[in-house]
Amino acid sequence: MKAYTQLGSFEGRGSLEGWLTRIATNTCLNMVRGAKRRPELTDSDLTDDEHSWLDQQSASDGGEQPSVENSLVATDLADRLLAVLSPEDQQALLMIDGEEASIKEVAEATGWSESKVKVRAFRARRKVREAMDKLLSYRNKRADSAAD
Amino acid sequence: MKDKHITEILDNVSIAALSESEMNEVRAHVLDCVSCRAAYEAARVSAVVLKSRARTVIEPSPFFHTRVMAAWREQQAVENVPAIFRLWKSAKVLVSSMALTTAALAVLSFVVPSRAVAVDDQTASVYSAESVILDQGADEQMTYEQVLSTIYADEDEAR
Repeated sequence: MKAYTQLGSFEGRGSLEGWLTRIATNTCLNMVRGAKRRPELTDSDLTDDEHSWLDQQSASDGGEQPSVENSLVATDLADRLLAVLSPEDQQALLMIDGEEASIKEVAEATGWSESKVKVRAFRARRKVREAMDKLLSYRNKRADSAAD
Repeated sequence: MKDKHITEILDNVSIAALSESEMNEVRAHVLDCVSCRAAYEAARVSAVVLKSRARTVIEPSPFFHTRVMAAWREQQAVENVPAIFRLWKSAKVLVSSMALTTAALAVLSFVVPSRAVAVDDQTASVYSAESVILDQGADEQMTYEQVLSTIYADEDEAR
């Protein structure tokens, strides 16, 4: 709807896909900004399915093709992890690490400079890794105390 | 290189995008470094999670692209029409109403008053000064004697 109502602003110089991507991007960013962000994901926040999924991941080397159910669990977990990031950082990380977009492609889609994309992706990757690290260490500690 | 922590390598690029030499460096380091091993494990699981998240695709309606392009072409077609036609399209109601008003005013100004003048002329001719003077006394009542003398005068002439 937003694209349809804003058709007048499309000058036809770039591709329609690029223009639509930019609109979708900005709309999604505004929606995510409006949503309340959770400060941190802890072990107690995880569902049983997510615990099982993490157990499977710890046991495997990540080479297998995930089932549909596992993909859904992983998607939910990703949403929870990404909630600790700003909308812009989420977008940069999902495009680069998730969709394997290049820095240049992200810069074109978002209108940010390439260095800004790099900084955002670096920061987001580190935050997500640290959040996951904390989550896994909680689980390991709990497993150790259960074993004792 | 084994002593250098690998967290910066993990944060610079996705673990799936690491080159073979970088992966070897990471693997060699995490064998001895506990904290980096945990970081590597977290980065690996995070990469899997993000891949799954990116695979969740929300497909737009198959006609969305067609509809948007059609609307855009329609708008472009309107913009390519010469300015005079676009002006006419937007102003034709106004111009038509102005023309009708002008025509109505012209009828009221030139046709209706000329009829009124014609009636006035007729009226004036009946009551013109000349006729009033010539017909002066025509409406006067004849006296009784005048009527009798007129009648008997006719009879006398007949005899």
